[in-house]
Amino acid sequence: MIDGLGIQDLLLIVAFTLAIVFTYKTLVEKDLVRAVVYSAGQAIAYGLAFIVLMAPDLALAYVAVGVGIYSALFLLVISRTERYEKVE
Amino acid sequence: MIWDIIGWIGVALIVLGAIMDLIASIGMHRFRNFYLRLHAATVGMIGGAFYPLIGLGLLSLSLEYLGITRYYIAGISFVSALFVLLTAPVGSHVLARAAHRAGIKPEPINVDRLQEDMEKGVMEE
Amino acid sequence: MDPLMVRSILAGLIGVFVLAIVIYSIRVFKGPTIPDMVLAVDALSYDLAVLIVVLAILFDTVYLAVAALPLVLWAYILDMYVAKYLEREELGD
Repeated sequence: MIDGLGIQDLLLIVAFTLAIVFTYKTLVEKDLVRAVVYSAGQAIAYGLAFIVLMAPDLALAYVAVGVGIYSALFLLVISRTERYEKVE
Repeated sequence: MIWDIIGWIGVALIVLGAIMDLIASIGMHRFRNFYLRLHAATVGMIGGAFYPLIGLGLLSLSLEYLGITRYYIAGISFVSALFVLLTAPVGSHVLARAAHRAGIKPEPINVDRLQEDMEKGVMEE
Repeated sequence: MDPLMVRSILAGLIGVFVLAIVIYSIRVFKGPTIPDMVLAVDALSYDLAVLIVVLAILFDTVYLAVAALPLVLWAYILDMYVAKYLEREELGD
C-alpha cells in the first residue's frame, strides 16, 4: 500500500470511480431497460461509499430506493410506453 | 481453546470464499454466452457470499477483544447468510427462465428440451 | 486470536473483494444481453453485503452491521421485476 493511503481511501476511490462511470453510462444509454440496470449499479456503488463514510442508515435508504423501488417503478412505466429512446 | 478452533474454521471459510469469488469474477469475464456465465455467477453468489458470511460470523464469535459487539455481528452475518442461501438460487433460476423465454439461446446447442416442450404445448404459460 | 493477524487477514479479504467488484463491473459495462448485466449487479450486491460485515469487524462497531441484512434482499426484487418484464415483453438482447 502507498504511504498514507489506507484501506478506506482505496474503497472510496473504487466506489466513486464506479459511480461516475455508471452515471455516465446511464445518461448516454438509448435502451431504457439497460439504463435502469446501470442505475441500480450506481446505487450499489454509492452504497459502498456511504458504508465507508460510516453512514449505514443513509446507505440503507439509498440502496432500497435505488435498487428496489426505483427500478420496479421504472420497469412498470417502461412496459406501458416504448422501450427505445428515439433519436431525432 | 475451543474458540481458537472455531476462529480458525472461520478463517479457512473466509479464505475459501475469497478464492471462489475471485474465480467467479474471472469466469464471469471470460465465458462466452449467458448460460455459461450463469454457472460462474452462481459460484460467485453461494461461494462468494454465503461461505464468507458464515466464516465472518464464526470469526467474530471467537474475537474476545470485541466485547459484546461480537454476538451482534455474528447474528447479523448468520441471518444474512441464510437469506443469501434462500434468495440467490431463486433469483438466478428466474433469470435463466426469463432469458430462455425472451429468445436468448445458447450458441452451440445439441438438445433443447424446454424448447421442444414449448413447441408441443406441454409447458403452459 | 491475535488482533493484528485478524486485521491483516481482513485487509487481504477487502483487497480480493475490491478486485472482484471491479471485474464484475466490467461485465456490467460490456454485457451483451440484459440478464448478464442483472446477474453481475446481483453479484455486486452480495459482495457489498460481505464488505459491510468485514468493515464492521475491522472498525469494531455495532452501528455499521445493521445495513447488511436488508441489502441482501433488494437485489432479489430487481431480479424478479426484470424477469417479469422480459417474459411478458418477449424482447431479447
